[in-house]
Amino acid sequence: VVPGETALAFYKAKNPTDKPIIGISTYNVIPFEAGQYFNKIQCFCFEEQRLNPQEEVDMPVFFYIDPDFVEDPKMAKVDLITLSYTFFEAKEGQKLPLPGYQ
Amino acid sequence: MSTAMNFSSKTFTPRPPDKGAFPLDHLGECSAFKEQFMECLRHSGYESAACRQRAMAYLECRMDRQLMANEPLEKLGFKDLINEKSEEKPEK
Repeated sequence: VVPGETALAFYKAKNPTDKPIIGISTYNVIPFEAGQYFNKIQCFCFEEQRLNPQEEVDMPVFFYIDPDFVEDPKMAKVDLITLSYTFFEAKEGQKLPLPGYQ
Repeated sequence: MSTAMNFSSKTFTPRPPDKGAFPLDHLGECSAFKEQFMECLRHSGYESAACRQRAMAYLECRMDRQLMANEPLEKLGFKDLINEKSEEKPEK
């Protein structure tokens, strides 16, 4: 992936149970310091998503790495950035700790 | 949030996506485009730049099927590909 260029990535999620599940996901970027350069244009995260029984869906993420990444001396040794998502089952009234997002 | 001792660099806060969330493609309407894109990645050694045409096709599929807000492709970083496309094919 070239910093500044938009890129597409896919994850896959499956609901192995026999009842619909409403999930919500949050993400993590490793190394931690690279997270500030990771810009998501569009993804499946932060909003509740419903998965029907046995359903398997593709989850796309459309993103780019901020071109300032190449200017940051702390990132000079970073050639691998890992983006991971965790899917939680949404519970009524539950709020994920996402400061600044309502 | 954890405290960061360095004031000069930005701190990491999970941010929502710029253009919001993709609705799920429950019916797999764009799966074929996704498969073509993934195949391209496999052949190119997972080099994202080599497969941007297919990525663009996937996003166009989503937009055509109301699975993504319509956005001019130039604004999504595909400006150079649009110019190529309009040179090759005068009509879509």
